[in-house]
Parts: sequence; C-alpha cells; structure tokens
Amino acid sequence: MNQGRRRGFLNALLMLLITLAIASPIAAGAEGAAPAEIKIGHLHAASGPYASISMPVYDTLKLWVDQQNAAGGAFVKAFNKKIPLKLISYDDQSNPGTAAILINQLITQDKVDLLVCDSGSVLTAVAVPIAREHKMFLFDPTGTGAAFFSKDNPYIALLADPVSTVWPRYLWEFLKSDAAALGLKRVAILYATNDFTGTQASAIRAALKEAGSPSEIVFDQGVPTSTSNYSVLIDNIAATNPDIVLELGYVGNDIAFLRNLQDQDHKFKAVFTLYPGIETNVLMKNVGAQGLAGVFTYVTALGLTLKPEIGMTVEELRAAFEKAYGGGGVEFGWNAIAGHVTGLVIGETLAHADSLSQADLRQAVFGLSGKLKTLVGTFELREDGAQIGELTPIGQFGPDGKLAVVYPHEFATAKPKINAP
Amino acid sequence: MLLHALLGGVVFGCYFTLIGLGLNLVFGVMRIVNLAHGDVLMLGSFAAYFLFHLAALSPLSAAPLIVIGFFLLGLPFYYLVVPRLAASRDAEMLSFILFFGVQQIIEALAAIAFGSSERSIPARVLGIGAVHLWGQSLPRAWVISALVALAAVLALYLYLYHTRLGLLTRAVMASREEARASGIDIHRVSAIAFGIGLALAGLAGVFAPFMLGSITPAMGSTINLAAFAVIVVGTLGNPLGTVLGGLVYGVGLLMMQTYLSAWADLLPNLLLILVLLVRPSGLLGRRVRLA
Repeated sequence: MNQGRRRGFLNALLMLLITLAIASPIAAGAEGAAPAEIKIGHLHAASGPYASISMPVYDTLKLWVDQQNAAGGAFVKAFNKKIPLKLISYDDQSNPGTAAILINQLITQDKVDLLVCDSGSVLTAVAVPIAREHKMFLFDPTGTGAAFFSKDNPYIALLADPVSTVWPRYLWEFLKSDAAALGLKRVAILYATNDFTGTQASAIRAALKEAGSPSEIVFDQGVPTSTSNYSVLIDNIAATNPDIVLELGYVGNDIAFLRNLQDQDHKFKAVFTLYPGIETNVLMKNVGAQGLAGVFTYVTALGLTLKPEIGMTVEELRAAFEKAYGGGGVEFGWNAIAGHVTGLVIGETLAHADSLSQADLRQAVFGLSGKLKTLVGTFELREDGAQIGELTPIGQFGPDGKLAVVYPHEFATAKPKINAP
Repeated sequence: MLLHALLGGVVFGCYFTLIGLGLNLVFGVMRIVNLAHGDVLMLGSFAAYFLFHLAALSPLSAAPLIVIGFFLLGLPFYYLVVPRLAASRDAEMLSFILFFGVQQIIEALAAIAFGSSERSIPARVLGIGAVHLWGQSLPRAWVISALVALAAVLALYLYLYHTRLGLLTRAVMASREEARASGIDIHRVSAIAFGIGLALAGLAGVFAPFMLGSITPAMGSTINLAAFAVIVVGTLGNPLGTVLGGLVYGVGLLMMQTYLSAWADLLPNLLLILVLLVRPSGLLGRRVRLA
C-alpha cells in the first residue's frame, strides 16, 4: 500500500516535472521575448461625409508614429525597451457597415495590439460593441456620444474630446448667465440627428429647462446629418422670433447653415455653431470672416495657449503638419490636434502598461487620468471611460475673423456682444 | 412657412431638374444607367471652384466653358465604352456595374487630387442679398441657379424638338433598332446625347456650391440618389418629364424640412418606393408610351 502510494506520488511528481519542463521555456519566452513591432489598428475615412474630420486625425496619428519610429520606436515598459510601431489603418469610406467589417478584421485577422477607432461619433458607434465583444480596449479619439460610455463596459476611453453630455457645459452656463443678461433668452436649437450633436442638444435642452432657468426654448428640431440646405429651416426658425440660434452639426452642416444665413434677409441677434472654433481653417475658407463675424462657437486648443507637459504645442504641431502634408487637401484644425493627442496617450500607455494585455492597457490609460497635460488640457477620465477634462470655453468671432474667449470669465479675453452674423 | 416652403421648393426643384436632366437623357437614348452621373457633377463643381479661385472666373462665366469641356469629354468616353456595352445581352445591368466602377474611380481620384475638406465659392459672386417673391425672401444664388436650370431645359427642348439632330435623337429614343434600320447613325446621335448628358451634369455642378452648401469628392453618391428619385418620378427615359420629377422632389424636400425635418432624408427613398409601387412608369409614363 505504502509502496503503491509512493509510486503514485513519484509518478505524479514526474508528470509535474515534465509538465513544468515543457511549459517553462514557453512561458519564459512569452514573457521575455519582445515583439518585433507593436501593431496599432486604426480606421480612417479617406472619402465620404466624415473624411474632413477623419483624415486630420489619421494624418497626425501617422505623423506621431513616424516620429516615434524615427527615434527607434516607442518605449514599452512591459519589455523595458523601445519597439517600433506599425500603424495598420484601413479606409472605411465613412461607411459604418464597412467600418464594422474592418474593425473586426483588425482584431481577428491583423491581431493588433492596440485598437483605435475612426473619428467622430457616427463611425465610433459601430466600433464600440465589436471591441467590447472581443474584449479589446478601444482608444476612442473623438467619438463623444454619451451612449458609448457605461459602467459595465470597461473597454473604451475617450481621448481628445469631452463627452457630449459634458462638452456643452460652458455653453449652457453661458446661455443661462451672460447671454441671458444680454437679453438672449429665447433660444432656438437646430441639431443634426447623430450621436454627437444629438447628445449635445439633449444636454443643452435639459439644462435650459431646469427650474429657475432664464432661458426659453422656442424652436427645437433635428435634421438629418446630410442636410445641405437650411434656407427653409432658417425661415421657420425666424418665425419663432428667437434671440439666439444654436445650430449643432458637422462641418458641412455648419458651412451650409452659415452660408444660407448670409444669403437670406433673416438676421438673428446671436448665432452659435459648433465647428467654426473646431475646424477654423475650413470654415473661414468656406464662409469667410464676414460670415463668421459675431458667431459664437467653442474655443478649442486652436484658440487657446495651453502649455503642454508632453508633446508639441499647437504651433509646433501645425508646422510639422504643414511640412508633412501641406497642400494635400487636408486642413489643420482641431481634429489634427486630436490625432496627436491620441498618439500621445498611446505612447504614455505603452510606457506605463505592465504588459500588452488589454486589462493592463486599460489600467495604464486610466492611470494617466488627471496626470497627463497635453496641448488640449488635462486628460481626465470618468469611471466609464468618458473624457471629462479638456473642456472647451465659449468664444465669439470679431469682424476681423479673430476668435476671442467670452466665457468662462477666468479664460475670457473679450466680452460677448450682440452682433448679428 | 407654407408659402416659403412651396416657393423655395419650386426654385430648389428647378435645380434638381437640372441634376436629373442629363441622367434621364442618357438613359432615354442609350438605355444605360450612368451611376457616375453624380460624380461627373462633382467634377463640374471642382472645375468651377478652381476656375474661380485660380483664374478669378465667376461661375456664370465658367459655366459655358465647363459645358463645352464636359461635352467634348463625353464624346471619346462614349465611343470607348458605350457601343460595346450596348451590344451586350443585358446592357442596362452591365451599365450599372460598369458605371459603378467608374464612379468609384472618379471619387477616389478626386479625393487624392483635391483632398477631403469641404470647399465652396462665395455666394456674393452671384450677387448680394436675397430675392423677394410674393413677400418671401429666397437666396439670390438659388434663383439664379433655377433660372439657369430652366434655360437648360428650354435649350434641351429646342434641341430635341426643333433641330434635325434632335429629331434623330428622338427616333433613337423611340427604338434603337428601327432607327438603325432607317439608316440613322445611332452612335453619332448617341455620342452627342451622351456629351450633352455630361455637359448638363457639369453645368449642375457649377451651381452645387451655392445650392448644396459646399462640395467634397464624396458628394456624388448623395446626388445620384436624388437624381434617380427625380427621374423615376418624372418618368425614366423622358428628359422633359424630369421637370415634373424635379419639382415634386424640391417641393417635397422643403415641405419635409418644414414639417418633419428629422425625416427629410427619407424623401428620395419614399418617392422611389411610392412611384414604383403606384405608378412604375413614372408620373408621365402613359403619355410617353402612347407617343
């Protein structure tokens, strides 16, 4: 009995030793051998309605990758060395269906180490559930739709824009305080029905309807994001006699709205649109300084002089962008900055993550919250991955086409004026 | 609001007539579907944009140049592609596939050449201030675009009904085989019609920056959908029926924007489905068949 038990014990020990002998080199290799490259999977839209917000992100992310590789790669803490980066970026042509297929391909076929979705909420929306299903952490540059962020989804972080429910905070505060004091109390809201502007409209609506609010919403309508003429809508808004019109749309919407406004007789006391402060170059070229005079908008890093603790300043980035892509038909604007911020966050994540596992990548990203100060301000994540730092003040264009900050008061460089565009 | 929507719809509809006119002419004469029509229009827009910004040529001055240029481009393209396509067993279906490929190529090349950012021509080059009609104010650029569209319709009408070449074109439209049997050089007639189709698309493109806010290389697909709705409503193969289709589309779109703005996007699809279910031959279908 004892002898049999001893033999059984010896057999078990032998098996254990054999197993360990086989497994240990594999395990050692798995932990010790650094990959030849770190694969970053990304989507961009070279054509279609979202190309103008997607291509700048892609260009500056690529620029960051090239710069890292020129310096020998990004430092990866998990292997304590610099490793070259490989950016695998597919063109989804602004098509959510194509984006869904390509995101899947990046995860299952290319087996990328880090996953970055396309720019903007419409194309981010399809990536969120797929990344979650594959338990892949999603680096979300600018998809701000509130629905993407929930406590039960640990696989996402918004990098370069505040989440849509937080983003318009200064706007509704401005409307309820300074704007109301100027007599701009009757508010018209016209928004494009997508996750980005739809969520912003909801947040503003809710804030303006709070008890004690001096503002009154007199017009509140959504239009398809593809809307390219606003003439009749402007006429309809004018019929409600608003003091200030908030038009929330993408670049093409804002251009069409502001151009139609110039073409018509209706002059509102004040107008707010989203993109003049975000993609200033594009709006200035299409609408002109005269068309933007008096328009309120968000002020991004383009109009602020924030000193980054990491990465380039706006002017340094602009110079690098123009050198690399000048004349290529892609304008330098906020989205170009967002691409740079995405690169910086990825770089810091690799520099702090204990391994390349998705859990460790997430932990590293969240570990940066409140500590990383880039050219867009403080990177700060909510528990669900929503960006709550990097707030955008409210500005107003002067007749010379210059944008001045008018709210909040601590950033203000000018006082708001009623100046019909 | 209603009067403004109706009036604006009529003016806007005139422009959409121009968008659909060339597409319908090409289908009527050759029985092929030019899916690249919207992208030809986009090229017309960029031509006008560059002529304005590089040569300081106003859109109204650029329009004749673009019309002539696109017409001349259409002739060799016709001889390169269409005769072989027309000789195939299922020309309509094959034309879908072929021109879809052409569309993709044009869009991709345009995106590479022009970039993806929105571009436009200042509205002031067509005059400053609104135009007042029956107490309603409409953008001046809209009214000018509508007048140009009506002039194009009139010119096409005069061509089709008051010239010998137009008579031959109508003969080919009625029956390609009978026209060939009676000695008509159907390829010559068709090549000219194809050139006119492209020229009309190019002309519509000149005014796109004013009517559609801005232009991008990706605008072709959206234009195609609207153009198809216009010509299906107005009757496929009947160029002058396009006027009715354009007006229905324009008024419908602006009425939707006024009363159901969030659903305005659905209009082209709704019109297509409705017409195909209720009157597949288009609103003027019967008249065309009897003719």
